[in-house]
Amino acid sequence: MTADRTTPSSVDVSPDDTADGTERTRAAQPVPSAGPAPAPAPVSSSAGHALRLEQLRAFYGDAEQVKGIDLDFNAGEVTAIIGPSGCGKSTMVRCINRMHEEIPGAHAEGRVLLDGENLYGPTVDLVAVRRAIGMVFQKPNPFPTMSIFDNVAAGLKLSGARGGGLREKVEGALRGASLWEEVKDRLSEPGIGLSGGQQQRLCIARSLAVEPEVLLMDEPCSALDPIATLKIEELIEELKQRVTIVIVTHNMQQAARVADRTAFMLTGDLVEVGQTSDIFTNPRDSRTEEYVTGKFG
Amino acid sequence: MNSVPTSSTRVHFQEELAELEKRTLEGLDMVVEQLDRTMESLEHQNIEVAELVIADDDRIDGRFLEIHQGILSLLARQAPVAGDLRLVASLLHVIKHVERMGDQCVNICKLVPLSGHEPPVRAELLDKLLHMGALARTEVVQSKTAFASRDVALAEDLAHKDREINRANRDIFNIALEIGDDADTREWAMHMILVARCLERIGDNAVDIGEQVAFVVTGLFQEFGDTQP
Amino acid sequence: MSAAAPAAGGINARYGVSARRRRTDVAMRGVLLAGTAIALVPLLLIIYYLLHKGLSSMTSGGFFTSDPTGASAGFFGGAQKIGGIKSALLGTVEIVLIASAIAVPIGIGVALWLVEYGRNSVYANIIRFFVDVLTGVPSIVFGLFIYIVLIVGTGSTYAGWKGSVTLSLLMLPIVIRSAEVVLSLVPGALRESALALGAPRWRVIFKVVLPTAASGMVTGVLLAVARAAGETAPLLFTAGVTNVTTLNPTHYQNSLPLQIYNDFIAGTTQNFNRAWGAALTLVLLILIVNLSARFISSRSRLG
Repeated sequence: MTADRTTPSSVDVSPDDTADGTERTRAAQPVPSAGPAPAPAPVSSSAGHALRLEQLRAFYGDAEQVKGIDLDFNAGEVTAIIGPSGCGKSTMVRCINRMHEEIPGAHAEGRVLLDGENLYGPTVDLVAVRRAIGMVFQKPNPFPTMSIFDNVAAGLKLSGARGGGLREKVEGALRGASLWEEVKDRLSEPGIGLSGGQQQRLCIARSLAVEPEVLLMDEPCSALDPIATLKIEELIEELKQRVTIVIVTHNMQQAARVADRTAFMLTGDLVEVGQTSDIFTNPRDSRTEEYVTGKFG
Repeated sequence: MNSVPTSSTRVHFQEELAELEKRTLEGLDMVVEQLDRTMESLEHQNIEVAELVIADDDRIDGRFLEIHQGILSLLARQAPVAGDLRLVASLLHVIKHVERMGDQCVNICKLVPLSGHEPPVRAELLDKLLHMGALARTEVVQSKTAFASRDVALAEDLAHKDREINRANRDIFNIALEIGDDADTREWAMHMILVARCLERIGDNAVDIGEQVAFVVTGLFQEFGDTQP
Repeated sequence: MSAAAPAAGGINARYGVSARRRRTDVAMRGVLLAGTAIALVPLLLIIYYLLHKGLSSMTSGGFFTSDPTGASAGFFGGAQKIGGIKSALLGTVEIVLIASAIAVPIGIGVALWLVEYGRNSVYANIIRFFVDVLTGVPSIVFGLFIYIVLIVGTGSTYAGWKGSVTLSLLMLPIVIRSAEVVLSLVPGALRESALALGAPRWRVIFKVVLPTAASGMVTGVLLAVARAAGETAPLLFTAGVTNVTTLNPTHYQNSLPLQIYNDFIAGTTQNFNRAWGAALTLVLLILIVNLSARFISSRSRLG
């Protein structure tokens, strides 16, 4: 806005003018380049576990639902998978902990490497895979015949983990799921007596109790109200330090909020993957652009 | 990556965004109008026209507030991302530049009466100023076209055109240095230097708008290099 | 459905219920009530007769503590003692228990296979078909079958356990059918989460699926037990008829339905009374089993 004076000094001197009025100069704006970034190699460290998919394909009978995907999930990060319904994101995620093959007639090909070891190798024990890779589902499903305590311990008992310290492990898992304070006085009450958001955190605690290396979350908040959703998103932010997290979500705002990296899938193919802020400010592929801006999907 | 919706989803959002862009670019039309009147006032030492320009700047300021509010509301309600987000961010910059350009016109018009009704005009200097004004006008119009059609090449050309304005600015400065005859003439020449500077700033703002065009299209923000000889 | 009287104008003219509709409503309700009453009448009559005729017999001395003597009361009544129903009661209990011990594990096992492994395969559907056929087979046919196979075929004689086998054949399709329904009602999501936790399939079944389906399966088992306890014909050919109490299933064993049948054949009033008493006992027995099983399942099921 102009200063309201009538002297020569009323000429507006904007902050970015310099004494030399002949050339336009301005301190360079340090805006990070949003151009193409090289796909980072999956980082594995003693503090975390990295996952890599190599040419992963998934079939229902003869129908190919996931068509040759190469994707990395870095340790200590949250990676979101977004895409329209039916694009194969849930199928792909279920291949990671080998749940896909539980469906009659379904099989998968390719390699899934957890810290370098192929989970589809010929001698791999399915039980061990699923202990290392936990899963949280869309609809909270605590075991109805069990108490809160038993639900969390179920993970340990079902997978045949031996050893004592059950109480400590259950408490640790409940604390890890931000649920301990709310249920510590009613551990023997039935698990299904909790609210929806609490039930989902109970399921997360159940998965955490077996101390997995990776946690797969298939639309974990879609059945929950907004406050419960936000609580779980906060939880994810805390958990990612110890567990590599993969989250499938329909909700793009959620992906934008929680994920470090985002992958976009379309009809079984991986269209684009990158830093979340890049995907949502300057995606490289026009299909990604159209999807995130809501022009289809 | 223009704002034509390719499907029936988010039609209201796309329309709202397109309307914001249209209103922002109309600001550039207002600037051209103000600039024309400013140059006329300068050429004919017309103080009434100068006062008209000063008063009319309120319209540009009003447009700035309107666009600013519209963008805030859009961000809050619609959560735009990717190309839409870049467009929204750039509109904020563009309307700011529009407002600055309007202010520069006002600054010029405030200088006009200072020289009184019979200024000791030197044709040489005045012609150069009028030439600068024409150049600035061309740049403003071109910046609007480049933005509306997302034409990066046209936007980059603005930097080239701006060199000419910069050159004219330096020329005016040099001429003013040599004027030296009497105090009145020197005073008038000093004012004209300031006028030239304002015109040069208008050109800079137009180039900035060009940079926004590149940002919207490519996602990269770069300053158009001044390849000044 | 309250009806406002239709007024000349205003809201009731559009939203009020017409008189004709009200009449129809009342008529339909009357018809349904009448149907319910008709259906209830036989049930009430049976209960009434059971209590009326059987209670006095049940409460007479020695009813539960003495075996039938095999004698029927003379025409001049009173002189000969006909005894109680001890052997029949104990026989029924033991025969049905053994039958359950055979049918329930096998039946649940088959149901589990059908739901968890067979699913919609050809084999599974064939098995389901045959189970359905079995439900329709008359019980006397089962009795004859076991008679041919286990008595004539092996050259041996009647025995309580052969009666149990027959009854288990009867119970099997009921247990399989109802267990299959309940097991398939267990949400797939539960199995999925258990599998995803790293449980081998059998653990998923025993620790998650079965406990969740437990209360439903109990009901199915009860239905089967109730049916088996009341069957007469198959026991006729397999368990034999006797009056003596024996807990050894390799001997002939008495049972309540057979006792009722024999008393009916005897034809005297006192025998009839004992038959009513036995019938009431049978009904009460099944009732007790029913109630205690529900009590157990409601305690074990949470929430």
